[in-house]
Parts: sequence; C-alpha cells; structure tokens
Amino acid sequence: MSDFWFEFVEITQTIGDGLFFGATYALIGIGFTLIFGAMGKLNMTYAAASLAGAYAGLAAFAFVDAPAPVVFLISALASGVLGFVAYLTCFRFIPINNHLAALMASIGGLFFIDEMVVHATDGSPLTFPALFDDVMFDVGPYGVRGDLLFVLAMCVAGTLALLYVLYRTRLGLATRAVSQQDVAAQLCGIDVHRTNATTFVLAGLLGGIAGAMTASAVGVLSPLITVPLTVKGLIVTVIGGLGSIPGAIAAGLLVGGFENFFLYFRGVNERDMYVLLLLFIFLVFRPQGIFGSGADRD
Amino acid sequence: MSKFKLATIVTALAVAASILALGQPAAAADRTVKIAGWGAKSGPLRSFGVNSEAVLKAAVKSINDSGGVKLGDGTMAKMEFTYYDSACNADQAISVVRKVESQTEALIGIGPTCSGAAAAMYGIFQKKVDDAADTGLQFPILTDTAIRPGLAKKSQWTFRNVPNEITMYDEMFKWLRGRYPDVKTIYGGTETDQAHSRITFAAVIVPMAKKHGFEWVGGGIKEVTGKVAGGMKQVLEVSKSSNWLLADTSFSVQARAFKRSGADMMIVSSHPFTTCGMLKEMRRQRIKPKVLVGLTSSSSAETLKGCGAAAEGMYIPTGFAPITEAAAKVAAAAEANGGAADLHSAAAWENAHIIKQVVEATGVMAKPDTLKADRRKVRDGLEALAKVDGLMGEIGRVQDEGESIKPYVFVQGQSNAWKVVHDPR
Repeated sequence: MSDFWFEFVEITQTIGDGLFFGATYALIGIGFTLIFGAMGKLNMTYAAASLAGAYAGLAAFAFVDAPAPVVFLISALASGVLGFVAYLTCFRFIPINNHLAALMASIGGLFFIDEMVVHATDGSPLTFPALFDDVMFDVGPYGVRGDLLFVLAMCVAGTLALLYVLYRTRLGLATRAVSQQDVAAQLCGIDVHRTNATTFVLAGLLGGIAGAMTASAVGVLSPLITVPLTVKGLIVTVIGGLGSIPGAIAAGLLVGGFENFFLYFRGVNERDMYVLLLLFIFLVFRPQGIFGSGADRD
Repeated sequence: MSKFKLATIVTALAVAASILALGQPAAAADRTVKIAGWGAKSGPLRSFGVNSEAVLKAAVKSINDSGGVKLGDGTMAKMEFTYYDSACNADQAISVVRKVESQTEALIGIGPTCSGAAAAMYGIFQKKVDDAADTGLQFPILTDTAIRPGLAKKSQWTFRNVPNEITMYDEMFKWLRGRYPDVKTIYGGTETDQAHSRITFAAVIVPMAKKHGFEWVGGGIKEVTGKVAGGMKQVLEVSKSSNWLLADTSFSVQARAFKRSGADMMIVSSHPFTTCGMLKEMRRQRIKPKVLVGLTSSSSAETLKGCGAAAEGMYIPTGFAPITEAAAKVAAAAEANGGAADLHSAAAWENAHIIKQVVEATGVMAKPDTLKADRRKVRDGLEALAKVDGLMGEIGRVQDEGESIKPYVFVQGQSNAWKVVHDPR
C-alpha cells in the first residue's frame, strides 16, 4: 500500500469512526431537543438521568445476571422514572416564564444525580455488558464496529418512533400544541402538565437507551462521563437546531467526525477547541442550527 | 428565702455543675492524639478517599486496641481521627487544611489523596522552618495516595509516604529488558489532563524505558534519554494523537496510532476509567503487543472491576500487594471497612503507625496549651526518621525532600487479579 493510499485510508477511517461514535452524542442530543421542542427549556439533568438509568440496568446485570435486552429495558424504564422526577422537581412548580430558575434547578439536578451515582459506586468504573462488541465488519481496508452500527440504527429507529408519536398520535398533537401556545392548548382542554410530564418520561425512556448504548459502546460506565456527555449533548442540540430531532442526529454525527479529524491532525489537547469553534461558527452564522427554523429563534 | 433568691441559687448551681460536667470530659478528651485525614470522598475519584479512610480507620483501631499512644509524661492516650472531603479539588483541599490547622486540635494531617490538590495545597505552607519572613502554614502533613514525583520538597512541613515511581519504573524496565530480550520497540499514550499520568508517562516511563535500551517508534524523540524529565515535552508532542483525556469515551484514533506504530511494547499511562476504555478498544482492533505496561494508579481494584479481562498481561509496578502477613491483614481490614487497600491507600495504615512512633519518640503532650509545640515536635520527628517498618518491608526516608523509599513489587493482570510476578525486595 502506498504512503498516500495508507494515509487516505487512515484519515477516512478516522472520520468514519467519529461519525459512528457520534451516534451516541446524537442519542443524547435527541433527548435535549425533544424537551426543548416541547417546553422551550433545557433539561440539564438529561444526560445524568440517562447514565443513572444505565447504572440501574447494570445493577440488574450484576445482581440477577439479566441478559442485555433486559438491561437496556431496565435502563430505559429507570431513566423514564428519573425524567418524571426531574420534571416534578425542576420544572413543574416553577413559573413557566421563569426560564432561569428552571435552568438552575435542572443544573442542580444534574449534579445531584451525578453525586448519587458517585456515592453508590464510589466513582469506580464498572464493566457494562457490550452488545456486538466483538463484531467488526471489514469493508476493504476499513473496519466498522458492529456495536456502533447498532447505536446508529437505534438512533434512526428512535427518531422514527418519536416522529410517529409527535405527528400521528393524540399525545404528539397535544405536545405540539403545548409547545406552540400553552395557554391556548389549555383552553382547548389539553392538560399541559400531564403533556409535559409525558414528554419528560418519553425523553427519559429514550435517554435510558442512549445511556446504555453509550456505556455499551465504551464498555465501561463511570460518573466521569456525565458532564462531558451533557456538554456534547448541548453542543449537538444547538448545532442541530434547537427542537429539531433530525438536526440532533446530523449534528451528533458531525461533531463525532469533527472531533476525530482534529484529534488525528492536532492532538487531543486541541481537539475540543475546534469542536467549540464549530459551535461558535454556528451560533454566529447559522444560529438556527442545521435544521432549525430561523423563525423559531428570537 | 424568696422564690427569686431560691431560683437564682438553683440556676447558679446548675450552671456550675454544667461547667464542671463539661470541663471534666474535656480534660480527658484533651489527652487524645488527634489526627485529621482528608481526600476525595465526592466526585468521580471518590474511591481514593473511601479507600484511604477505610484503611486509616482500621489503623487507628489497631493502635487503640493495642493500648494507644504513649505521651511525653507516660500517659497512654487514644488516637482519634476525623476524615474530611476535599473532593480531589485544590481549593477544597486548601480550605480543609486551613480549617484543620486553625480550628481543630489535630497534631497532623493525612491528605489530600490527589496529586493536583496536593501540589496546590503544599504551596500554602511555610517553605523553611523558622523562617520568620514566611507566614505560610505551620502544620505537619503526611500524605498518602498522591503519587506524582517530587511534590513534598515544596515545604519542610510536608511529608509523603508514597511509592517512588522513578525507582520503580527504572527497575521494572531493567527487569523487562532481561525477561523479554526480543522486545525492542515501545509506543504509548497518556491522559494529558491528568498531571500524574502525563508527567509520569513523559518524564519517567518513556525515559526509563529508553534508558534500558527500548526504542521509541512513531516519531523522533532523540533527545529523550534515561534522565528523568529529559525531553518531556517532546514525548508528548510526538505522541499527541495517541493521547486522550480523563473523561474520554472514544479511543479508536489512539488505538490505531498504537497499531500503526507496530511497537513490541505498549504503554497505557492513565487512571482506571480510560485505561479500561483504551484497553477495550485495543482488543476490538485486535492489537496484541508482546508487552503491555500500565500506570501505577491502575494496579487497583477499580481497573479489575472495569476491565479485568482486557487488562490481562499488563505489567505495573506497585508499592502494595497483600503478600506479607501484615499487608494481608490490612487488606482484609480495609475490605471490612468498605474500602480496598491498594498502592495508594495502604500508606494510610503506615502513616498512622508512623505518627504513633513519632509522637512517642518526641514526647508529645497532647494538651491544648502544647498544641503548637506538639505540632512542631511531630514535624521534627518526621524529618528525623531514617526508616520505619512498612507493610511490605522497611521504608526508607529521603529527609531533605520529605519523601519515602518504599519497597515494591511488579504485578501483572492475570485472570481478573493482580498477581505478583517479580519481588525485588
């Protein structure tokens, strides 16, 4: 293999790996964007609750040797419950127009959940059951991780399911109505709080799967990743367009690829600088994100 | 007698009785040897503090069970400890040490558990004893866990009982050289946002490997010699795409850099979480080096919990293994207290016993009015120590640097456990 060809394969493989790993960022971004789309607020507890859900799944694995699908199911259910608790504690009783209070409450919730996990595990990294960990597809000179392909497939499936719920069910209709005009929705007989709570639970269920997927892709679960995953999720949400689910997927993949590209060429110490530069460029030149509507941003 | 007078007398008697009642236990409590411990008990590195506290608790109990500590006037006093949370955070470690020094009767502090916090905290101490112009803290510290090389010499009040990584890696690469004569080349990576991992990798591990004839591949670092810290920046520069951060979750680029190097020996210089992430990715990419070397901090139960199978075959030098009767006893006691004894936390046991030895040797009185003098005696006693008994054998002291020379062994990951494969003691 010539040097040029070798280098070409290396670079494209690097970007490809990043795109696939970006699927985990996309899954987190979808949850952020779903709640923002419904309430116009950021739920900062989201990534922490997703990982806490994954810990619950891991407990099932550790104590009763539950198979991987059950681990994922328990992760989703636990995260759904945490989503409901986060709604009750950080949003339900805070005046709807007080965005800062809700934001600060959810930041508090983020650290509270994280610290609970730290105390339960002493911060130790724990092996998470991997799905298709040993599956590696060799495509010519390239290798594609089977587990990341599965994460990407779950991302797409999750998006389709969410789009179905949002546009083909009464709950989706209510969610969209509340997100557009909550007072008018209430006058039409929609229970705003129940709709919002259901959205949080829905996002939580997806978050639990996202947390379990991320832990499965890394192979290890640790409270160390909560804050970085929250930051990545927020970046993905903004770049994708606040409230846009397809945007979150596109941005997740973009951020993953971008990260790896700059890791390869500039090293790990500069990598995040370029990702933040990408965020800055979007905020300045395309504040509505990739798929967000310009009219929605004021 | 009027009711008012009676009430006044009764109140006065009650107050006097209360003062007497409070005063007597206080006087008894004054004759205890108080020590303060602190470390990360919250945050992602909580295991450091949990383990250190568990071992310290066991050590204090064993001292008290065997009669306590003999004070300067012959009184036998119990040892007491209070453990604070400094969260692996420099600001928090500094505020804890200030509080302990000014608001408690602790004779000495054991902490913090993290190198970064220790480096910052040591900076607020008086550098040279009796320097009237230096108003820094005058309170003795005997640190466990925080292992980054060369920290304690910052102040004459700060001492450490941690393994010497320079000696350990020097000896380990010498041993590996003999054991694997066909292994010629090395490559590796580290978590660059962790000072201990980064500095040990670039200033200790790579130079020591080169000193023993291993050749770095994957970029020119000709200037790096066996001299510690020689060419540290260059090591990090040439290996930049093979490095990662403490909370990274993706290691594909780094693992491919390892694979591309084709090195016989690979070095993963990081703490358990990313060590596991990196080792798992290496396994996915079917990277099988002839020899795998890890950072001292990864020779712990955390790594085994996270990736015992992936760590199979990894060599690490360590200052603790339950291979002596005393070490096995401490390991069991730590487990009973909800922690684990490892190369970091086991030192807390030794520290409590070192403090007992120093208190008895220097005639500490452990009274409130002798607190300042007692703290000074403890400091002087620590400085005067030439050697002490440790869990793995005799611990030597480097008096002018406040550091220890601890016995060590080399362990290897085997069947989800750290097995001692070489014992140079």
